[in-house]
Amino acid sequence: MKPQFLFAYWFRYLGWALVIVHIPIAMIGRMNGMINPLDNFPGNAGLFTGEHLFFMGTTLLMSLGLFFVAFASEKIEDEQIWHIRLDCLRGAIFINYLVLIISLVFVNDTAHILELNLWAPLIFFIIRFRWVIFRLNRSLTREK
Amino acid sequence: MKNNIRIERAIINITQADLAEQIGVSRQTINTIESNKYVPSTVLALKIARIFNKPLEDIFILEDGD
Repeated sequence: MKPQFLFAYWFRYLGWALVIVHIPIAMIGRMNGMINPLDNFPGNAGLFTGEHLFFMGTTLLMSLGLFFVAFASEKIEDEQIWHIRLDCLRGAIFINYLVLIISLVFVNDTAHILELNLWAPLIFFIIRFRWVIFRLNRSLTREK
Repeated sequence: MKNNIRIERAIINITQADLAEQIGVSRQTINTIESNKYVPSTVLALKIARIFNKPLEDIFILEDGD
């Protein structure tokens, strides 16, 4: 089975670069008064205002970065990696919906629940997938 | 399901890395198949059997619980 819809291996580095670039930009923006429009929710900050464009830009950087990291292929993308990928994706969606349901019941802040759900599936997926790959590599015997 | 890949490799004197390269998978995959931690697909099992030039049933053996 040939895996489809995966980015090239080097997209992983591009993805991490976008995530890392996003952090100082978001921090500097916030220090200069660019407030996340979701913080003013349900206030109407308006579309394509400075704040909205800043939020859109930084969110896109982070989302694209995580997306590239999550869906960049491995050096050798064989059927076992494909199985692990699907299993981790299933786990990430499962955890995401668990967090969503718990936060909908116990948290009265729908705007930030939305923001959390933007990142959570990809972050859970990346953490679990990298951990399983790490364990797989570690368990490799030193047989020659 | 258990398998004789380790024995068959020893017979024709190839490493896990050699076998992995010949069938286009990672060494980790061969290692987990040998350790019975991962059951390969039919296609991969047939590729492995072809490398050893033996029928599939000689390489992969069903166990009672399967």
